[in-house]
Amino acid sequence: MDNMPLLKVDSVSAGYGDSEILHGVSMEVREGEIVSIIGPNGAGKSTLMKTIFGLLHPRQGTIHLRDKDISHHSPYQIVGLGMCYVPQVANVFTELTVEENLEMGAFLLKNANMDERKERVYELFPRLKERRRQRAGKMSGGERQMVAMGSALMLDPTLVLMDEPSAGLSPKMVELIFERIEHINKSGGPAILIVEQNAQLSLQMAHRGYVLAAGENRFEGTGQDLLNDPEVGRLYLGG
Amino acid sequence: MSMEKSAVLEADVPSDPSAPRPAARGSLTLQNRSVFSAVLFLILVLFWVFGWLRGATFGDLLSLTIWGIMLGGIIALGAIGLTLVYGVLKFPNFAHGELVTIGAYCAFGIMGMLPQGPALRPFSFGWELIAAMILALPIVAAVALVVDRVLFYPLRRRNASLVLFAMASLAGTFFLRSVIYLIWGSDFHFYYPGRANPALHLPFGIRVQADQIFIFVLAIILVGLVYLLLEHSRMGKAMRATANNPDLAQVRGINTERVIAWTWVIGGALAAAGGVMYALASQLRPEMGFFLLLPIFAAAIMGGVGSPIGALVGAIIIGIAEQLSASFLNPAYGPAVAFLLMIVVLVIQPQGLFGQSGK
Repeated sequence: MDNMPLLKVDSVSAGYGDSEILHGVSMEVREGEIVSIIGPNGAGKSTLMKTIFGLLHPRQGTIHLRDKDISHHSPYQIVGLGMCYVPQVANVFTELTVEENLEMGAFLLKNANMDERKERVYELFPRLKERRRQRAGKMSGGERQMVAMGSALMLDPTLVLMDEPSAGLSPKMVELIFERIEHINKSGGPAILIVEQNAQLSLQMAHRGYVLAAGENRFEGTGQDLLNDPEVGRLYLGG
Repeated sequence: MSMEKSAVLEADVPSDPSAPRPAARGSLTLQNRSVFSAVLFLILVLFWVFGWLRGATFGDLLSLTIWGIMLGGIIALGAIGLTLVYGVLKFPNFAHGELVTIGAYCAFGIMGMLPQGPALRPFSFGWELIAAMILALPIVAAVALVVDRVLFYPLRRRNASLVLFAMASLAGTFFLRSVIYLIWGSDFHFYYPGRANPALHLPFGIRVQADQIFIFVLAIILVGLVYLLLEHSRMGKAMRATANNPDLAQVRGINTERVIAWTWVIGGALAAAGGVMYALASQLRPEMGFFLLLPIFAAAIMGGVGSPIGALVGAIIIGIAEQLSASFLNPAYGPAVAFLLMIVVLVIQPQGLFGQSGK
């Protein structure tokens, strides 16, 4: 097995203004993996995502994408290196059509086979093809999530970060979105780092998981190990 | 999760089941919008009636309306730049009027260096004015870029509040105007002092100058080009995306600083074109842009801030209203008419004619 992880977060501390939210978090994602981060509200899950993606910069520690130190890169530079991000909210351009949203996902590619890339996303989410000329702001929460995921896949990334893809969706839509995430990953797609409130569901799908609490790693292991761990279950899975 | 909300990625409201269905909300805005358009139309009709009561002929009123459309074209060139900058940077740029003035004076300065040819009849100007205008566009675009680098970029770096941006733009206004006073003095100037500019006599007793028609056609062409750029070019789409959601634009790999730079270039160039035309239709004064600022703001607000097509429609309505008011009011009250319309918009439909709904 390749020794170098795709993404390596090493003792990262970060926060906003005077408050430090992450206190030395370490984790990694390997090629083709689905890694799930779970933890209670306020544990710093979203902050970790933003720090990895360059929306925040670490105060201490480093973040590497393969052998490249991206700790102080801007988001658009990170996108250029093949990492894409699906934020939890405000994750589509509401005033742009579905099609334009997808095009913005591949903004970095000047004229590269845009139609072919869009077609691949439409294959994953046929619903989007029907509505491609509609403004994204007029769509349901589930459809928006599809637009957001589709935009992130336009660049053929090697790693996709997803922040709470199930937030605010109906159970049926959550099931569909998770099924698609697994499908994307299995069909030779990118590695996926996912942050979820819905710990049960995301650990079932994940190869490995981390439990984040109060800005620190508490547990790590395979998805099944974490699901079966009595302490993780008692503290974070509500069982 | 509330403690780690940075507000940056939470600008939009997530889909909320209790919010009205999108369709219902859409029809509601449509209804408001028609009421609002009707009110604006009624105001213009009232202006016609007032003018007619004060003894203006049909031909007079029609001429005033056409002059208003032409003035609207000039206002639109300023308002589109203002609305684009507002869309991307979210602050009202008071210095935009000065870009108009600088455009007019740059062309004046360049014309002084060019040989003066004969007038291109029926217009009152020659090739040298067109050449000077074309050269003035990139100069003013560069001025806008420098102002952004010096004044606004440091504020962006520090995430300064929008009030600071607005205040900085006000400071920029005074600075730029002082520069104009320094270079060209406070006197009036004309591109062609003393040159006759007879009006054409059209059917229905309409009198317009060929220059006015030229100004309006050029304004429409430039507005059309901006529209095409925004709708169909890669950079145009990125500008709309950045205006809509700057944080997501970064996340999608858009270099937002480059988008901002292009916004200034386009806004500055349009303002320069507007300034040259405004000076051609009246005269060059150091305060010309400042006086145009109120109608420019009114037009941008009326059209819906962030919408270039809205800015054009708003500008034409304001231009017509200002000109028509001259048939029953002292023309010095023209700016007051723009102000009145702006208040009507803010009271009835603050998001304007083409504004984004539900925000």
